[in-house]
Amino acid sequence: MSVFELSLLVVVVLFGALASGLWVAVALTLTALAALLSRPALPDAQILATSFWSASTSWDLTALPMFIWMGEILFRSKLSDDLFAGLAPLMRKLPGRLVHVNIVGCAIFAAISGSSAATTQTIGKISLPELKARGYDERLAMGSLAGSGTLGLLIPPSIILIVYGAAVEESIARLFIAGILPGLVLALLFMGYVAIAATLKPSLMPDNADVLAKESKLTAVKRIAPAVLLIAGVIGSIYGGIASPTEAAVIGVVIALVIARAQGALSWKEFTEGLLAATRVSAMIAFILAGAALVTTAMGFTGLPRELASWIGSLGLSPYALLFALTIFFMVLGCFLDGISMVVLTTSVIMPLVQQAGFDLVWFGIYLVIVVEMAQITPPVGFNLFVIQGLTGQNIFRIAAATAPFFLLLALMVVLLALFPDLALFLPRTMFAGG
Amino acid sequence: MRRALDMLYRAAAGLAALCLVAILVMVAVQIAARLLDFALVKLGLPPTRFIVPSLAEISGFLLGAATFLALADTLAKNVHIRVDLLTTRLPDGVRRVVDGIVALLGAGVSGFATYAMAALALKSLSYNDLSYGMVAVPLALPQAVLALGLLILTVALVDEGVLAFTGNDRITGGGASV
Repeated sequence: MSVFELSLLVVVVLFGALASGLWVAVALTLTALAALLSRPALPDAQILATSFWSASTSWDLTALPMFIWMGEILFRSKLSDDLFAGLAPLMRKLPGRLVHVNIVGCAIFAAISGSSAATTQTIGKISLPELKARGYDERLAMGSLAGSGTLGLLIPPSIILIVYGAAVEESIARLFIAGILPGLVLALLFMGYVAIAATLKPSLMPDNADVLAKESKLTAVKRIAPAVLLIAGVIGSIYGGIASPTEAAVIGVVIALVIARAQGALSWKEFTEGLLAATRVSAMIAFILAGAALVTTAMGFTGLPRELASWIGSLGLSPYALLFALTIFFMVLGCFLDGISMVVLTTSVIMPLVQQAGFDLVWFGIYLVIVVEMAQITPPVGFNLFVIQGLTGQNIFRIAAATAPFFLLLALMVVLLALFPDLALFLPRTMFAGG
Repeated sequence: MRRALDMLYRAAAGLAALCLVAILVMVAVQIAARLLDFALVKLGLPPTRFIVPSLAEISGFLLGAATFLALADTLAKNVHIRVDLLTTRLPDGVRRVVDGIVALLGAGVSGFATYAMAALALKSLSYNDLSYGMVAVPLALPQAVLALGLLILTVALVDEGVLAFTGNDRITGGGASV
């Protein structure tokens, strides 16, 4: 079979299976098997078993269920009420006032949760009704929520960075630390936009001051303290080289259990629900990773990624042109696929191309996450939009329109990251023990 | 039959959850021991030097077991991601047929994976392959657990196919939890 026929086969099987609704992990496995069968005399069963086995049983990957579990516990705690009530008095003086609670709240929750849908959901379920009741512009409230919800993927811990790290065998600790600065810059960009929009168009904000129940700054700080403590414990121990991501995640689960317990929020029923939910989500992702590992191995046998890389190489594109092309490609892919599937397809097919172009793998991981974030807020498949649809009952395209400015800010972030790679690479260089 | 199947998926998921709890406990004990040693050394006392043997390896095996044992329940609870953009736009009757065929195709793939994993476990058993760490675990054991998980998934996929053909398909798999 020629390379052209083979690529055709892979594309047809993969997209055919996906489009007809075969579960992503199974579709990946099927595609890999099709590619393996095109090469005669390979021990297909053995290749499948060893790929699944080694991809599913690595120590690094144990961080995945632990971080998911931590998020599930906090999702069931009263943390989101506390974040809103605690942040509101602190944000009231900024132009744009309580809209900033969306952004800062998401940034904080992003630092304790690895998922952008969970971040959007947790912050939005409190902030959207509160902002609406106070008369804030609904478009700005929805847009800023959808935009900053994407911080969940970028600010560590990040489920998608664990997936990427496991797939390309890059240090998860370094990837986590690399995401911090771009995440903060992005949050500042969002806040700057809200401040400017609020100043230029005061009608977006209600007139009266946002009086909550009497709260001093001190009580406000007290309400945010548990979250901040948790972040310091988890990210600090990774950055300081004291703990591996798995250990940090375990510390996180234990602290989360203590916090939820102290709030009186975690019944036995909620505990088991959270644990089972984490087990399922983790199984879903790890199964996709197993399927992707098989695709990577199968692709290695077929030589397709190498051919693709040398073909793109022969075009003589500049790195910027290549990044531009990749970004467009991911935007199109993001119209059909979720973030994790996009990441594993990337790692199993175009990684040789990325390496050949000379991109740093940590840097590329951060770039990939931001692009995936952009895809998460574009219709028709955009999970953050679905979450906000679930919260507000609004039409998905209306939500997407409200999110458009924040989409552009994400695009700006991609440009910044390309121009200043150190945004991602500076902090990992200063880490202790190098992760 | 329905109840028996649901109980099978649930029981496997329960075991999977216990595997995660086991990882949590082992790692937490290791961290606690390290903190204790740190404190002891600061106080000028001899450290315990306690380590959980083969922690990384055994955690990995437990993770694999957790993943594969939970696969069927994850399917039944509709958590596995799938693309439903096209199929949800089909007329109900057509959609059920497509869904049923897709589920049976999935069962085929999963069945092959079950066979492959079981063969690997048998091979490890016949060579008596052990893990390298301080605690030598026969690799056949965790591999057999993975195969068992895939077997239950295969059953669940056939179940899913039957459900679809009888008009009870669970079409969406939003993956909204990520």
